[in-house]
Amino acid sequence: MTDSIESPDLQRRSGLTRLKEGTYGGFFAACAVVTLLTTIAIIATLLSDAVVFFSEVPIRQFLTSTNWSPNPAGGGQAFGIIPLVIGTLTVTITAAFIALPVGTLTAIYLSEYATPNARSILKPLLEVLAGIPTVVYGYFALVYVTPALKAMLFPEMSTFNALSASLMVGIMTIPMVSSISEDAMSAVPDDLRQAGYGLGATKFEVSTGIVVPASISGIASSYILAVSRAIGETMIVVVAMGAQARMPPVQEAVFGIPFVNPADVLIDSGMTITVAMVQIAGSDLTGGTLPYDAMFALGLTLFVVTLVMNVLSDIIAERYREEY
Amino acid sequence: MATDNTATTAFGEVSRVRGIVFEYLSFGASVFGIFALAVLLIYVTIDAFDLANANPLWLLTYFITLVVPFLGFCLYSARDPAVTRRALVAAGGGLVAIAAVFTAIEAFVGQIPRLNWPLAYLFVVIIPLTGYLTYVGAQGRAGSVGFGLIGRLLGGTAIGLAFTVLFLVFDARLWFLVYTLGVVPAVLAYGYGRIRSVPTAQTAAVPVAIGGLFVAVFLRPVVDTYPTTVFIYLWTLAVPVAVAGGFVVNARGSRTAALAAAGGPLAVATGVGLLGQPLGLGVGGPNALLVVAVAGVPTAVYLHRVADVGEGVTGLGLPVLLVAGALAGALLVESFGLPAPDPWLNGSFVTEAPSRNAREAGLYPAIVGSVIIIAMVAALSFVLGVATSVFLEEYTADSGIVGALTRMVQINIANLAAIPSVVYGLLGLAVFANLIGFGFGTAVTASLTLSLLILPITIISAQEAIRSVPDDLRRGSDAMGATRWQTTKNVVLPEAFPGILTGTILALGRAIGETAPLIMIGAATTVFSAPTSLFSRFSAMPMQIYAWADFPQAEFRYGVVAAGVITLLIILIGMNGTAILLRNRAEGEN
Repeated sequence: MTDSIESPDLQRRSGLTRLKEGTYGGFFAACAVVTLLTTIAIIATLLSDAVVFFSEVPIRQFLTSTNWSPNPAGGGQAFGIIPLVIGTLTVTITAAFIALPVGTLTAIYLSEYATPNARSILKPLLEVLAGIPTVVYGYFALVYVTPALKAMLFPEMSTFNALSASLMVGIMTIPMVSSISEDAMSAVPDDLRQAGYGLGATKFEVSTGIVVPASISGIASSYILAVSRAIGETMIVVVAMGAQARMPPVQEAVFGIPFVNPADVLIDSGMTITVAMVQIAGSDLTGGTLPYDAMFALGLTLFVVTLVMNVLSDIIAERYREEY
Repeated sequence: MATDNTATTAFGEVSRVRGIVFEYLSFGASVFGIFALAVLLIYVTIDAFDLANANPLWLLTYFITLVVPFLGFCLYSARDPAVTRRALVAAGGGLVAIAAVFTAIEAFVGQIPRLNWPLAYLFVVIIPLTGYLTYVGAQGRAGSVGFGLIGRLLGGTAIGLAFTVLFLVFDARLWFLVYTLGVVPAVLAYGYGRIRSVPTAQTAAVPVAIGGLFVAVFLRPVVDTYPTTVFIYLWTLAVPVAVAGGFVVNARGSRTAALAAAGGPLAVATGVGLLGQPLGLGVGGPNALLVVAVAGVPTAVYLHRVADVGEGVTGLGLPVLLVAGALAGALLVESFGLPAPDPWLNGSFVTEAPSRNAREAGLYPAIVGSVIIIAMVAALSFVLGVATSVFLEEYTADSGIVGALTRMVQINIANLAAIPSVVYGLLGLAVFANLIGFGFGTAVTASLTLSLLILPITIISAQEAIRSVPDDLRRGSDAMGATRWQTTKNVVLPEAFPGILTGTILALGRAIGETAPLIMIGAATTVFSAPTSLFSRFSAMPMQIYAWADFPQAEFRYGVVAAGVITLLIILIGMNGTAILLRNRAEGEN
């Protein structure tokens, strides 16, 4: 369109209309900026208090010390994250043992075997698993699962223990694995399946030999997201796992090789990073004290770990995705 | 691959065992989690209603007076002999199967704790069957009418109760001034402009409303004589609801019907409000007025529509059937002297304050706290979520500042969704509670924190809803010379609205169960009175459950907490059910 005077003015609008348009656009942009501000605020608050904390407690000590007792009343204060990491890893790994295989099999069933009718019933029901409040899961673990396990399998189990909490975290994260994996599996084109059948493969062979490898990037990224969710899970472990930061007892096997019996860790109480934060929040919120700052240091650790895992899962999903 | 294990068999024969085992294994995996949760829910329900101590005859009485007529109604509505046959086979066969399996387990394995075969039959057969038949019955004419009526009654009552709860915190007198000086003139101006086609009057509505708001806020401390609460509720909430209902009926039918639909419930509500406390449930005079008006007007409008259409009118008897069944059951239980269970979840549980004594403990302050927080979270996250998604979907650009902003926000939202909720709690603690000074554990701090927490979910679902609006509609609007905002307002948002609403309600369901951020911002685990302002300390349902779960006494562990869990889950199911209904209705229209 030329700038000549004869050309029709298609944008003929009064100043008021233009002002109105600009105002609305600006309002929407401002709302979008709120999400950016949230991220910035999270990083800023975590960093500012964590920096204060690390000027008192060296980072090295924080990351390598094996004692966690933030309460100044109990004598010596110590801020070592190792026992918390052990607790978090216990819960995450045990939960992963449930959520990953069950979630993958569920995804295979939903995408390959289930009839449309069965899918339409199963999928909303699985979503319910993710929709139950986590404090309710924690209550279930404490009040129903632990006594049942105690009566049937582990008589010496303590009331607060890592196992039943981890079981519940696992069940809660199943839909996360299954829904993302199923999306990836459904995206595998039917041509590949038909080609498999044409070569004489059975349905089992098509499912495990063609569909799963073809959607492996989606499955892997769902695993990472589920694990990151388990790491950040709070209420289940707070209610059911107790709040005692402890190092697992190390035993010596033949030839003096030290090892830790997983059962010792699982049937005993423990403390995750999130539990440690909740515990401090329950006792001290005034600010300016060392435990208060420690809470932000733990939060920063959690934030960095989950952010890295999220980015990792994105990269895997992007880079190794098969383009069809 | 197909030949590696069965090289010697004839052509075309492959062992099917592995495939079949795998299919059943994967099926087992997909129901594993659901099954585990179902068992836990059965136990928590048994505990909350003390069903373990229920007399089988007591169960049988209510089964015959309440459940059987309901199932009969559903079958009548479905009008499908095949469904009737299936239901009868399931109910009868299920009874035999459950009894046999149960006897076998108890004989060979051992006692199943706190579960007997009538209860197992109830949970394994009757409840799923009821759910299925409700679904099938709702497809029929009579069923859809009956369930629609019950839905309006229950939903209206719930919304009315939520309003009364909100007035515990928000100033009813300020609302009276704002309504009288701002809302009414603005609506009148808009309506006048609409009817007489005066665009300036329509445009003037917004400034009039804002001006009225400022005047009201200015007048509130100055003026000190106000009408009674009954009058305020009547004038500011009941009358507009009734007028809106009247307009709906008027648009559909006659003027007299409109007057009846608006005036009838209004008259009843006024009577109830002036009389005092006929509703029980701790709902006082003015509050009862509110509840009756908010539940009554939509019900009256609905009744008029059903009568107008004239199909499935028998369905209107469903509430009567249920109430009569419950009364008959109660009468029979009373007259035969059957020992009734003593449920933990009863009327006093939702209307009393927490207590050290398990039998007197209640959830009332926590419910009020949750309602107030959720109302504010809903308003905040809806506005922010919709505005952000409109920006991302409609105002986006590929390049320049806007393009860069869009990309950054988009990546950022995905990352925000993955941040653990405790970290949001730290944000709320440091920024809202400490830095801005809204205070530890106040309702404002909590709602701001939870709004940010669910914002990514709200945005993502709203974006999906907006994206699903066909581009043809936008282009059509553009071609008629509409500006971007006009297209968004008149075309995109109305089309996407059901989807946005569904996503928002589902996200609110997440917010209502969140506990960890509330602990981090210092919310009280137990408060003994309902909050009276936005800045007073409050508790929420999940916080109270968390506090009670720590009590070592069995009455709390297996009674009070179970009742709290069931209350929370019922509210969640109600919200999610509404969301799914909205979605289905929107899909049905398209």
